[in-house]
Amino acid sequence: MNNLLKLLFAVGVLLILFTNRAVSQDIGGGILPSESEFKDPKTRVWINTYGNIRISKRLFWIAQTHFRFEETEETPFVGQIGQIYNRHAIGYIYNKKVNAALGGVMRINFNTDESSTDRNVVPEFRIWHQYQFAQPLYNAMIYHRIRIEHRWTQGFEENSDYIFRNRWRYMFRAKIPLNSQKLEPKTLYISPETELIMQSGKAVVGSVMEDLRLTTTLGYILTPRLTVAGGLMYSQGQTLENPGVFKQNWTMRFHVYFSPDFRKVKNKLPSIHLND
Amino acid sequence: MILSFNQRVKSQNSYTYYGPLSIGNYSGDASYGFTVISGDTLLNGPFQIKKANLDDLLQKQDYSFDFSGNFKNNYPNGDWKFKFGTFQSNNQSQVVDYQYRVAISGVQEEAFGEMVDGKPNGPWVFSVNKIKDSEISERLFKSNIIFDNGIPKQNFRIENDSLILAGRFLRNGLAHDEWSLYDSFGFGAAENWIFSNGVLKQIVLSIDGTNTKTSIYGNYSGNTTTINLDSQFIDAIALFQFAKSKADDVVGGKMQGLLKQNGAYYQKIDNILSELGKSSFLPEFKVKVPYYEFSNEERELLNSISSNYTNAATISTNFLEDTRLNILKLSNEDAAFQYEVINQITKNFLKPIKRLLDYKNREILEFAPRKELIDNLWPQGEPITVIDVVFEIDEKEIIKTYEFPTTDKFNFSEHSLKSVESISTYALKSLSSIKVQLEQTLLKEQREQELVTIEEQLIFQRNSLQNQIDSALNISPNNIKSVLNTFKEHSDTALSDYSSLKDLETKLNAGKVLLDCYLQLHMLTNQITLLPEQEEAIQLKYQDRIWNPFMATLMDEEVKKRITTAYKKTVVPYFLRQAKSEFKCNQAKELNVLMKATYQRMLELRDQNTSKLERKLRKENDPNTVLELFELEPLTIE
Repeated sequence: MNNLLKLLFAVGVLLILFTNRAVSQDIGGGILPSESEFKDPKTRVWINTYGNIRISKRLFWIAQTHFRFEETEETPFVGQIGQIYNRHAIGYIYNKKVNAALGGVMRINFNTDESSTDRNVVPEFRIWHQYQFAQPLYNAMIYHRIRIEHRWTQGFEENSDYIFRNRWRYMFRAKIPLNSQKLEPKTLYISPETELIMQSGKAVVGSVMEDLRLTTTLGYILTPRLTVAGGLMYSQGQTLENPGVFKQNWTMRFHVYFSPDFRKVKNKLPSIHLND
Repeated sequence: MILSFNQRVKSQNSYTYYGPLSIGNYSGDASYGFTVISGDTLLNGPFQIKKANLDDLLQKQDYSFDFSGNFKNNYPNGDWKFKFGTFQSNNQSQVVDYQYRVAISGVQEEAFGEMVDGKPNGPWVFSVNKIKDSEISERLFKSNIIFDNGIPKQNFRIENDSLILAGRFLRNGLAHDEWSLYDSFGFGAAENWIFSNGVLKQIVLSIDGTNTKTSIYGNYSGNTTTINLDSQFIDAIALFQFAKSKADDVVGGKMQGLLKQNGAYYQKIDNILSELGKSSFLPEFKVKVPYYEFSNEERELLNSISSNYTNAATISTNFLEDTRLNILKLSNEDAAFQYEVINQITKNFLKPIKRLLDYKNREILEFAPRKELIDNLWPQGEPITVIDVVFEIDEKEIIKTYEFPTTDKFNFSEHSLKSVESISTYALKSLSSIKVQLEQTLLKEQREQELVTIEEQLIFQRNSLQNQIDSALNISPNNIKSVLNTFKEHSDTALSDYSSLKDLETKLNAGKVLLDCYLQLHMLTNQITLLPEQEEAIQLKYQDRIWNPFMATLMDEEVKKRITTAYKKTVVPYFLRQAKSEFKCNQAKELNVLMKATYQRMLELRDQNTSKLERKLRKENDPNTVLELFELEPLTIE
């Protein structure tokens, strides 16, 4: 099992190197302002589903679909659809506290610029891998997540080329049970989280901090297989066009986490418990 | 008899045997002659068997013997000599004339005389001497009897260490003339029995020169019969005396003792000789006694008396010794009365009959005049059918009369076996009828006692149930509390229902049933009190540890929720409803069984494949259907 994890890491690193060489592009830089400019915050709503479908003792299939809405001039938060995510991966359970995943993303980007005459919808592709570590802390749990994404995007202009970037994400999150001693069914928990998303690539000139997200969600564990959560996120990051200009967002997030296990009972037992 | 190869052929069919031989208890070295005629072995010629063990003698004690004589065609014939010795040694020895000599002490028995065709003939002497240091120190017994073909004749003399008896026989062996028994120390006390032709006329007792004459059969002139002078004769004399004069004195005890001693010694030799061949060695001292022969009718009457007595005595003994009756008669007047009647019947009816039957069993009843004897058996006069009894109850004297209710006429005063038969019949009938009444009285008493015990248990059980419920109430949730409170009411209602019963029998039955009910309620209380605990256990059992990938945490997941829900929402409330409903003992019993089984079934179902069951449980709210789906027997009583 250790070997498989190492292999996953190696594949990840190779992907980074390869893509770095293969794709490089120049982007036109703007003039840096004398001091950082902060755009007005945009308001958004994200409705995310997170599926974690157990397929064997060690492997699970990650299936996530996210619907991201953003304001229009008339409507804050849910004025228009911004992106639809379709994120899939195969996860590997190293142990109860450590797991890793590798997969792809197909994102549909909608043109939210109301004045734009360009294409309305463009696809975006990613290869992503992540490494998650959990730690119990008193009656809470804390999580470290490193996620690396290799991302091909294109603008809404007709015939625009894909640009390639790498995203370096680290997220720190805690889940603190509010009405019980541990995270168990029928537990309300609060989850503060911070994620720093850095980026690199030829197209990235100066704008390395793509996004810094500060979120707090309130979740409720319905069953061991179903949890719902909702929260508010503030985020900011450098625009790609000009590192001196920062975009800001206020996002309401609504999440459903589900983890079905369709294996037959006889296959579940006794390995279902892993090493506990 | 052991025949071994140690045989020497004397003539064609005469042999001599040398070797070990066992005769009864006597085992020793034997030599004897025998002939075999048409397959039969007949003792013929000299015979000897002896034993003396030096080792035994030196170590502890030796039992020696030496029998020698002759046989002719299997009959002892000719001179015979018997020696029996019981000796100890003092372990001191000396050598005399090339022999080791050991002094012995003990008892030596010796008998010698002539036998003709297996019967003693001529003078026989039997002597028993005490030996001390190899010398006779004391004569313990000696008898000299002259036989004629087995029958004692002429004079005889028997003595032991204290008495001497001398007398004479006629040719036919009948006692005759004066038989004198006197003290061997010569203190002058003597008993003279005067016989005439075998009939004991009188006994003259001389003490210090004073003679007391007792006529025995002196005036008797009726039928006689010849019997042996043994204990039977002595008993016959006593019985005759009793019949004639109500005297209970036992006469002739001393003489009989001496004759018995003599008889025992002769018996010893007879046993040996009979074991070997054919012999009749007992000295038969003949006497004549008055003979009142039974008629056939009398024999039948005696059988009837005997059977009546046996049955009546069984009843009387059983009741007189019955501990329950002995206690009951102290407080219950009927019982006291009946007990006393039994007592009176036993004393006045049965005891004299017992005495009569005893004479019959000793075969002396025919030797005494019946009428006088029966008359004397009831010295206060024969009983009458009306029995007056006096008894005390609560220190108060009560006089009552018992009479067996019958139209039969009983004649008790005929002084015959017929009247005795009537007495025995009346006694048996009365006792049988009292038995029926007393058994009822005792049964009633027993029932009452039983009831007292049951009621004590009932109160105890009721209190213990209430205590159990009270302590359970403290720890139970409300739904269970209300059931338990109902149980309290149930137990009290049942007890008051019971106490309103009047009839003893009904009460006894109801009490037993109620006791069982209390037991069921106890168990049901337990079952009901256990429910929360069991629900918790079931909840724990129906959990699976699930790894939640989002939380990276193991969580307990409830599984087979349809089953647990059916149990919690349908079955348990149903149990509580049933327990709370009108109390029925049988239902409580069933409910106990069902609740226990249900819990067990719940634990089992967790580990079984229940997908089909879970499907069927969907939307099922009927408790009976649920129980059936659980494969449990629903209650038959609701």
